[in-house]
Amino acid sequence: MSDLPVPIRRRLQRLARRLSIGLFLDVWPRWTAAGLIAAGVATLACRVLAPRASPYLVWLWIVPAIAAIPAALLCRWRRFRHEDVLAAADSLAGGTGTLLAVAETRDASWHESPMLARAAAFELPRLRPWRRLKPAVAAAAFLAAALAVPQRTARAADTALADDIARTLAATVAELKQQQLVAPEEEKALEDAIERIRRDAGQRVDASAWEAADALREKLASDAAAKQDAVKWAAQSLERYASAANAAGGLPPADGAEAAELSKALEQLAKSGLLAGASKDLQAVLKSGKLPSDAAALRALSASLGRYLKETNGRFGELAKLGKEFGRFNPAEFPLAEGDSAVDGTEPGQGAVTRGRADADLTFGQETAPFDRFKATPLPPGAARSPDDWAPLVELPGAPQGSPELSASAQARSYADAVGQGAWRRALAPRHQSAVKKYFAK
Amino acid sequence: MMETTERVAAGQAKIARLTGELRRVILGKEHTIDEVVAALLARGHVLLEGLPGLGKTELIKALSRLLALDFRRIQFTPDLLPTDITGSHILQERDGRKDFVFHPGPVFTNLLLADEINRASPKTQAALLEAMQERRVTTFGETRVLPDPFFVLATQNPIELEGTYPLPEAQLDRFMFKVEVAGVDRSVLEEILVTRVRGEPPALDPVLSAAELADLFALVDAIHLPRGVANYAARLVAASHPSSADAPEAVRSFVKYGSSPRAAIAIGSAARARALAAGKPNVGFDDVRRVAAPAMAHRLVLDYSARLEGWDGRRVVDAIVTSVPEIERGLPQTLEAR
Repeated sequence: MSDLPVPIRRRLQRLARRLSIGLFLDVWPRWTAAGLIAAGVATLACRVLAPRASPYLVWLWIVPAIAAIPAALLCRWRRFRHEDVLAAADSLAGGTGTLLAVAETRDASWHESPMLARAAAFELPRLRPWRRLKPAVAAAAFLAAALAVPQRTARAADTALADDIARTLAATVAELKQQQLVAPEEEKALEDAIERIRRDAGQRVDASAWEAADALREKLASDAAAKQDAVKWAAQSLERYASAANAAGGLPPADGAEAAELSKALEQLAKSGLLAGASKDLQAVLKSGKLPSDAAALRALSASLGRYLKETNGRFGELAKLGKEFGRFNPAEFPLAEGDSAVDGTEPGQGAVTRGRADADLTFGQETAPFDRFKATPLPPGAARSPDDWAPLVELPGAPQGSPELSASAQARSYADAVGQGAWRRALAPRHQSAVKKYFAK
Repeated sequence: MMETTERVAAGQAKIARLTGELRRVILGKEHTIDEVVAALLARGHVLLEGLPGLGKTELIKALSRLLALDFRRIQFTPDLLPTDITGSHILQERDGRKDFVFHPGPVFTNLLLADEINRASPKTQAALLEAMQERRVTTFGETRVLPDPFFVLATQNPIELEGTYPLPEAQLDRFMFKVEVAGVDRSVLEEILVTRVRGEPPALDPVLSAAELADLFALVDAIHLPRGVANYAARLVAASHPSSADAPEAVRSFVKYGSSPRAAIAIGSAARARALAAGKPNVGFDDVRRVAAPAMAHRLVLDYSARLEGWDGRRVVDAIVTSVPEIERGLPQTLEAR
């Protein structure tokens, strides 16, 4: 080609470029269409079967770019050679063969020929990509439609269920807060725990989600019970302290045991955070840790503390219904998770307590209510026993005298003899005689 | 190196002079004249087929007069013998001795008109085989070279089948071209009536000497045949075979045997001649297309179904030319030639 005049060379290079583009557009749209259709089918499959792949499906739009790489490599491999370009140019120029002949013979004397100029004035073929691109466009539309299909997933239902669980727990916490039975730092920790439960349940609602909710409820209930115990203890300590003070004529009892118990009870009450709602003067007295020494101040403190404990105890009374409302986990209340449906427990190694694989999470239900679980049951009073404190229960007879055979009755002995003789004398059936002879003949 | 523009132009002028004179004699037959001249310049034999009175013989006679070559005519008849063509030994007395002396037949000429060649028996037709292909004659064990140049221009009548012997494929293959001479239209007839007295053609003088003709032959041989064009001609011939992957449906349906390699050679030679006649120093795709039909059609052995369906060799070759692209790979489908 380098022997041809420069203008012809440039025109041939343009033709070569256009042929390359045409070749690429012959290959690439088909591969792109095939890739996009495959991507669309994969998208539909993910929409139905693999919800977790949903965020990554948008990356399927790079399929055309990926298809361009092997298409470019193939086109490079099948590219038009110099001779092919010349032949195409000659054919486009009317098929006079002049371009081919001048290029082959490298005869410069024909470079100025008008015949060569006419042959080089061929029109470049027009690029018509749309006809080839139609399948790719249709495939792209298919992929777009597939991506537009809503994701088939139980996520919406899970979210609603998770929100419902979280809402119930939040209502409980709000009730506790309204009754001033929860400290701010406790409230923050509870909110975090509720959010964690809601997030986990949003991803997958199963037994663990319900159990986590129940565990939080139980914690709330046990905390409330502990606080109520502290309040009761404080009230009883106050009552004993007051009676002791009355006995001492309105002055602090001289013994000091009641005062120490009251101080400990109040300290426990402060630890549980229940004193946050008490009056300021009461808080000041309780913080100092010293009970008033004069009778009037002691009566006032006793009255103030009594009212506060009564009021607090009343709030616990309001809260008692919360414990009854705590839901218990029931497997029948929600559908099984998707993964569990395929496990029926019939295959070897898949057995379990009730269903599923052996390593499946166990589910519990109908447990003891939290307030009744650890209810104290008083045992009967007992006393330590001395090793010497014993008495025989029964008098056993003496050790046996003589062998059992000799000690047996004569009738029994004769019967045993008769049974042996009878067996010895028993006639063999004819069909058994040969077998017995053969056995004893060895 | 290609021929210079001056030499090509000079050769073109000579050919134009020859065809111009022929067109003066044979009116309305430009295409036929071009094909006959192309075959002549390619040093090939021509079989002219047409109805009586269409000017086949007149064309050949005019050609002989214009070329100033030795010309003989044989009117083929059923009783014509091979020795009537090739010549024979005759017992002659010389100086008191009797001896067999060879008397050359009419084949020893430059331009042989074999009129109504299909009326002779196959044996007589076969006498031309060696002469046409190897340009020599063997009689009584002696081989004699024919004059150079040597052309056989034969005619045959396609409709009179009684008392004729169709040329066998081997004989047909020797002809470079089979030119079908068609009828003329009314305006040509009118021109003939006006310009000719008793149908006599105008007097002709030689326009090409033997030396000039030899120079033209050399020039034709020097015409460059590009490899891409040769590839196209080869694909055309290959596509005439039903077993070829490139064969069009017409070939698969109607052709029993495709064209021989001699057809490809004929296409190359005739395309060179046509290129020179067009003033080109090289053969182009267009030249190959133009000569494909006369060079290939008579070499195809058609199936009986072709006759039933009304397909002849020319129509099949046209289908081949239509289906085979000039460039082997073809343009990408995304590109469209303007």
